[in-house]
Amino acid sequence: MTATFAPLRARLHDAAETFADSPGSLEEILRGLVDDVDRASREPLEIFPVCHHSPAAATAMVRRLRTKVPKVIYLELCEDMAPVLTELRNCRLPVAVQAFATELDGFPAEWSPLSVVAPITEASAEYQAIAYALDTPGVELVLVDRATDHVFQSEQPQNEIGIEIGDLRPRFAELEEHLLHHGKVRHWSEWWHQYVESPLGDADHDTYRQVMFLIGSLFRRLTPADHHRLRVDENRERHMWTRIREHLAASGANPEDCLYVCGAFHAASAVAEFGLTGTDTYEIPPRTATIWRHGLIPSSHSAIEAQFGLAGGSVSIAASVWQKNTTRTKITPFQLAGQKGAKKPKRPNPQPAPVTEPAADKLSGFLTQAPTLDGLDEAELLSWCVEIVRAARRNGYLASTADAIAVFETSILLAGMRNRARPTPYDFSDAAVTCIEKDVVPGRRDVRRLVEIMLGGDRVGQVGYDALPPLARDVHDRLAPLELKLEQRGVQRALLDISSKPELQRCSDVLWILTRLLPKAAVRPIMGDRKLGEQAIQESWDVALGTHQRPLIELGYEGVSIEQVLEQRLHREVNEPTATAATALAAVEDATLFLRSKRLADELGARALDILATERSVDDAPEVLHRARRLLAYYRTAEPELPGWIESFVKAGYAHYCTLLPGAVLDEATGVRQIAAMLGFLFSMENLAISLGCDRTQLELAVAQCHPTEPAKVALLWAAQLHLGTLARTELRARCTGLLANPLVLPEYPRYLTGLVHALEPVPSLTDFVVEAISTAFAQLPDPVLLPWLPSLIDTLRTNVPDLAPLLTREAARIFPPRLPDLDAWTPPWQAPAATATRRPATPPSPLLTEHPRTTIALANLLGYRPTPTLLTHHPETATALAALLAKR
Amino acid sequence: MSDLLRAPAELKYADELDWLESIDDGPKPFSWRLSPRMVRLFVLGSERADGLDRQVAQKWFGDRGFVERAIVTLASDRGLLLIGDPGTGKSWLAELLAAAISRNSTLVVQGTAGTTEDHIKYSWNVSMVIARGQSRDSMIPSPIMTAMEQGSIGRFEELTRSTSDVQDALISILSEKYVSVPELDADNIVFAKPGFSVIATANSRDRGVNDLSSALKRRFNFVRIPVVTNKRSEAEIVRFRTEELLHRHQIELDVPPTLLDILLESFADLRAAAAAATSDDEKLESALSTAEQIGVLEDAILHSNFFGDHKLTAHTLASSLVGSLARRVPEDLAIINKYWHGVVEPRSKDQGGNWSEFLAGGRDTLATLS
Repeated sequence: MTATFAPLRARLHDAAETFADSPGSLEEILRGLVDDVDRASREPLEIFPVCHHSPAAATAMVRRLRTKVPKVIYLELCEDMAPVLTELRNCRLPVAVQAFATELDGFPAEWSPLSVVAPITEASAEYQAIAYALDTPGVELVLVDRATDHVFQSEQPQNEIGIEIGDLRPRFAELEEHLLHHGKVRHWSEWWHQYVESPLGDADHDTYRQVMFLIGSLFRRLTPADHHRLRVDENRERHMWTRIREHLAASGANPEDCLYVCGAFHAASAVAEFGLTGTDTYEIPPRTATIWRHGLIPSSHSAIEAQFGLAGGSVSIAASVWQKNTTRTKITPFQLAGQKGAKKPKRPNPQPAPVTEPAADKLSGFLTQAPTLDGLDEAELLSWCVEIVRAARRNGYLASTADAIAVFETSILLAGMRNRARPTPYDFSDAAVTCIEKDVVPGRRDVRRLVEIMLGGDRVGQVGYDALPPLARDVHDRLAPLELKLEQRGVQRALLDISSKPELQRCSDVLWILTRLLPKAAVRPIMGDRKLGEQAIQESWDVALGTHQRPLIELGYEGVSIEQVLEQRLHREVNEPTATAATALAAVEDATLFLRSKRLADELGARALDILATERSVDDAPEVLHRARRLLAYYRTAEPELPGWIESFVKAGYAHYCTLLPGAVLDEATGVRQIAAMLGFLFSMENLAISLGCDRTQLELAVAQCHPTEPAKVALLWAAQLHLGTLARTELRARCTGLLANPLVLPEYPRYLTGLVHALEPVPSLTDFVVEAISTAFAQLPDPVLLPWLPSLIDTLRTNVPDLAPLLTREAARIFPPRLPDLDAWTPPWQAPAATATRRPATPPSPLLTEHPRTTIALANLLGYRPTPTLLTHHPETATALAALLAKR
Repeated sequence: MSDLLRAPAELKYADELDWLESIDDGPKPFSWRLSPRMVRLFVLGSERADGLDRQVAQKWFGDRGFVERAIVTLASDRGLLLIGDPGTGKSWLAELLAAAISRNSTLVVQGTAGTTEDHIKYSWNVSMVIARGQSRDSMIPSPIMTAMEQGSIGRFEELTRSTSDVQDALISILSEKYVSVPELDADNIVFAKPGFSVIATANSRDRGVNDLSSALKRRFNFVRIPVVTNKRSEAEIVRFRTEELLHRHQIELDVPPTLLDILLESFADLRAAAAAATSDDEKLESALSTAEQIGVLEDAILHSNFFGDHKLTAHTLASSLVGSLARRVPEDLAIINKYWHGVVEPRSKDQGGNWSEFLAGGRDTLATLS
């Protein structure tokens, strides 16, 4: 304990006695705060406390780096992120350093994928430190915080863990609420801006440090002791100090030439390992075997605000304050060489010589005096007022110069009322809303949003080509023939005339693979389709890779080329425990479509066969049927012979579905659609299956064993029996008529009809009968039965048998008269008298027939008719016509 | 007991205002009686951290930002228009502001379909005109004109209820800050003194009845007061107003906190239901505002006091709630009935206590009304 802070201690002691009922605990806290500041200030290795998104911290950092010129910088950032930091120079900030893991070893598999992001903005102290260290020869940057692997050893994963250097915020809600309430501000960012940021804007190094130590200590001491995060933080501090001492011992660096940049919270740490003289009792836990990939992903102000619970617009405001600070204080910020989106650094200004004497007590002055504020920055406020009125006008508000004046006046009045010497952006925003916002918002954006946009808006970062992972670079290279600026944000239209430029086919392949791997909005086909056996000659695409950089970069963690990633994903999909035969067939289709890889298709097909053999559910039967049909049709046309796996698949499927059919028919959970698909598979692939050695008896037995109770399934079974020849069409018609005549089952009739509609899938030849059955139903069913069923009929036709609905309408068009007047005289064919009744009266046989009977006899023999005269007497038209023709001659 | 049924804010809080004025050392705009910060303190109440010798009660409950924006608007060149759903405390805030700033909140014009320009400017005492001719003596100034002459705050309640041509009479008052009296040959302009401003209130449910002209909109700053949805502040408001009411009627009656909770809970549920409703028929006609809640409680208290055994029961509260909210038969009754069976009944089974009595009370009233 030094004498530096003795007067402050005395004053705090008095304060505790005055305000607290029992001064003991309050005094302990107040004195503890000063002790923490004292201890951190005296630490031989200079601690530089920071807070995230604080322009004041960034300004103080620049000043300190210019005066001290440290040789080693220890930074509170995951130690495994170091290699990617140098790539920051290829990016436009804000971007985030990401550590990503999909193959977990040592963590529960359901946590996958794990992701940690550390966003970096230009207006941050850490970026200044990084830029200084990377671009100054002879300076070493050492990241000392626990590795990302350790992050998950101590924390439950959320979607994504965000980490920030200098997380400085009250750790329990009541304290924050209290500070906001008494600070008369709305949210944390505003509190920080008013009570710390602005007063510290121009503070000297010692004041800055002591104030930040004090705030860190305050929040730390008011954190509940059993707080989980506090324990995690203590371990991090142990980790950081252990690493620092290790580095100092190994490199032999002089602690006086070093700077330790950490959040102010950590500067007030009470762990035994704290400081150069701290104990070496902490053992850094081993990492798990999880493989972590690192990279840079674009970030944005709004993303940072959302992830860290900051008020909307606060990061943008910090960015604009930083810009203003640099001009006002004439400091020259550090910037990585080659950095995009920022001004070129000028030559640094001469700085005062470093102060070497021990720091005096700057805290008393800071706490007791009102901060010295620069006068009203009228020009800036005026420009804001004019700007917002213009922006409001563009957005449909009836705003005028009078409003600009009113906003100006109101801002000043509001600031005065809120005890601020000059209006903050928050006051300005309130004033603009008061003066310009009326009862309705005329356009898309309200005034508050316009202010946010005006004060910097949301800035979105971008990762440059050189900082992209190999996969992303490869995609960019391969899409180069499209001549698009892929790095640009926004949607770009690509037109691929493949017939005239066959080399564009390769671009098309890349784009199709990307549609399979990236979110929909990243690449979207507008024209052109990729289906089995089809070849597009022209395609057009909406490409927005610049806007969706992040998913592309994250693909890069999975492999070196998109083909490899797709292959891995297909393998993973079919090997998952939840994989079904249908997903495996889909994977085969994708492998054929996107990768044109016969080898992979065969591998995946073999897996599909394995899955089918063990599958006991028939839920996916419709999809299996459609995919298998599609693949068969493709192989039959495109390949010289069918691949072995699909032959086995058909064979196995035939036996499989025959076995499952009787059970599935009885199972209430299995729908009509599934049964129809099973029958469809059995009937449509029967030829192939039998040629491969299957036995038709198996199918006949399976159908014979089916005893459905549900009307729709009963109808389906009738259709199957019709197909197998065990039920005649007349019998089927008689059964339907019987149902209609029986008042007890009449209400159930629509369900039989549903079954018949589904039967179109396995027995397409039933179409005319289905038309007949539906027509009869429309004619005979009473409205209370018919009407409630109609929506379900439409739904069935639309969703379950969409391919067959046209067949049905075509058939109906063939049967029904084409014109309305014809309808009255029309008799449905099924009501027409039987064919025998329509036989014409026998005309006397033409002499030609009796005289030259050989042709007819031969024909009759050929057709299998034995009594020859029958054909002659029953079908005399041909002979009669021929006789007439001959007679004319 | 005061001989006023309801004293205006400046009388009711006269002591407090005097005291605040005596300690106020902040800069005061125009002829304001209090500085803007003191006005805020008067409206929102004091805290320990303000370091005052005397506790100032919170009188209006809502976001601090609204009050600040309202106060600075009055200190600027523009009028203040408080807009919001019925029962959100617009008029009360207007009254408090007028009382704190100019110690006179009674210069009020009530906007109705029958409001004429005379109500905003001036009219004549016909008999005096006949006797002595037109002069300043025979002129009857409107409350707004009086406010101009005194340099104080004039209030215009329900601005959007009056017709557009009447509203537009305010334009010249707000921009030129004078009213000319063409009937007089001399002394024919009434100028506004510094400190004059107008607080108008408008009901957002009246939108489209008489829309404000854009010229008038320009001369007002709009502050939108939302319905209080924060349960804690709502409980505060109801408690505050109820106490005031009990005091006014000199009723010695205890409002159990559990009953207050039941009331708040029911309103929160009904509001959620109204928000989810798709047509007006599925919504109660009532706006379910905080004022409505106070009304329900007031009814129940008065009923218990005069017809009951001086004890507020859940039964009375339920009857009062059903009676106040069931305005349309059968729509409102159907909604309340649904609420009673769907929410109150299961809750009384789960939690019992006052909820059971509340259930019975509501049922009885529903049966009477149906």
